Amino acid sequence: MSGFSFLVNGIQTMAANPKMLVMWVIGGLLIWLAIEKDFEPALLLPMGFGAILVNLPLPGVIGDQNTQGIVAWLFNVGIAASEAFPLLLFVGIGAMIDFGPLLSNPRMLLFGGAAQFGIFLTVVLAVLLGFPLKDAMSIGVIGAADGPTSILVSQQLNSAYMGAIAVAAYSYMALVPLIQPMAIRWVTTEKERKIRMPYNPKSVTKTTKILFPILVTLIAGLIAPDSVALVGFLMFGNLIRECGRLESLSQTAQGPLANLITIFLGVTIAFTMQADKFLTWGTLMVMALGLFAFVFDTIGGVVFAKIINLFLPKGRKINPMVGGAGISAFPMSARVIQKMALKEDNQNHILMHAVGANVAGQIGSVVAGGIILSLAKVFLV
Amino acid sequence: MNLNLLAIAFHSVLGNVESSDISHSLELMGKGMLGIFIVMVLIYLVTVLLDKVTGKNK
Repeated sequence: MSGFSFLVNGIQTMAANPKMLVMWVIGGLLIWLAIEKDFEPALLLPMGFGAILVNLPLPGVIGDQNTQGIVAWLFNVGIAASEAFPLLLFVGIGAMIDFGPLLSNPRMLLFGGAAQFGIFLTVVLAVLLGFPLKDAMSIGVIGAADGPTSILVSQQLNSAYMGAIAVAAYSYMALVPLIQPMAIRWVTTEKERKIRMPYNPKSVTKTTKILFPILVTLIAGLIAPDSVALVGFLMFGNLIRECGRLESLSQTAQGPLANLITIFLGVTIAFTMQADKFLTWGTLMVMALGLFAFVFDTIGGVVFAKIINLFLPKGRKINPMVGGAGISAFPMSARVIQKMALKEDNQNHILMHAVGANVAGQIGSVVAGGIILSLAKVFLV
Repeated sequence: MNLNLLAIAFHSVLGNVESSDISHSLELMGKGMLGIFIVMVLIYLVTVLLDKVTGKNK
């Protein structure tokens, strides 16, 4: 019978490391959330399946000392060596974004900055909880509500928690409809939530729409050089969309390119979800800190709007909920804000203001990621 | 503020808290938020300028 021992090698390895079973359950939970609860299914389903795949005994997808498995190869080439996957995904995201509502109401840009406050507050809390600074910085970026930026920053800072950070970023993004209303109600009054904002959009010329991505890239490149890969690829995608000559490429970037990268990004990230690396106290704390970051990003945007309101005349005040839309979860956050506004007053339409703040959040989150990478060079020497 | 006391108070399951990391994280918060606002204000100014320049052609 010893000739058939190869058939039980896997079971023996499994028995020696029961943590793998826990990872199967976690993988199953992610798949269930994706299918049953519709939580970011495009990412959580590949990540869930990947978590099972890399936690099989003697996994061929990881490889060993002599050979490199496919998931290990995808991770090394697509993320570790070049961050190609998250960056290429940004081309697709850029092609999907219409900056029109922001360009016709550019003061919303400020909310895209203010709503990154949770990132930095979370870094402080993570340090106080005992995380090394590089991990704390990576964890903070979960608050950007921007999966590719979270993955890219945690990879560049060589964080041990990349898998947990990716899971947290995408899970909480799906939970925006639950997290944001709760956070907003904590810091606003009913009267503030009922503030109406007339919408009188200025027309935006095609030239403005074309020059905007180029100028934003130049500013990011000059002021925050480490954000230029993120901002540049996002804006490149947007330029393809707005130039008016590359409709086919724009559709490809929005559809097939983004879909292809998304399929492989989830499975590839699962490389960092091997039981021994993933099942730690740190992972649980990363999940809790990610939630904290999301909540305080929202609060940061709302409180900033309230501060601005102190200086605005009556009739021109901003509904503070719009500030909460300054995160990167687009367009979900804007929709949540509009739904909340209608719940308070069924004639209060602030959707387009919230959309402006929301696309500003797209820019703000990648700038925040770049600034953290720049500051990491100062603090992590 | 005595960051050493803060570091002791927050002794964590993950190990010792470095007081230098606390000061760095606070500095990061200040410089990070300032940096983001500078970039966003610059983009805002460029957008307004762009609107003024290209708006003439409407």
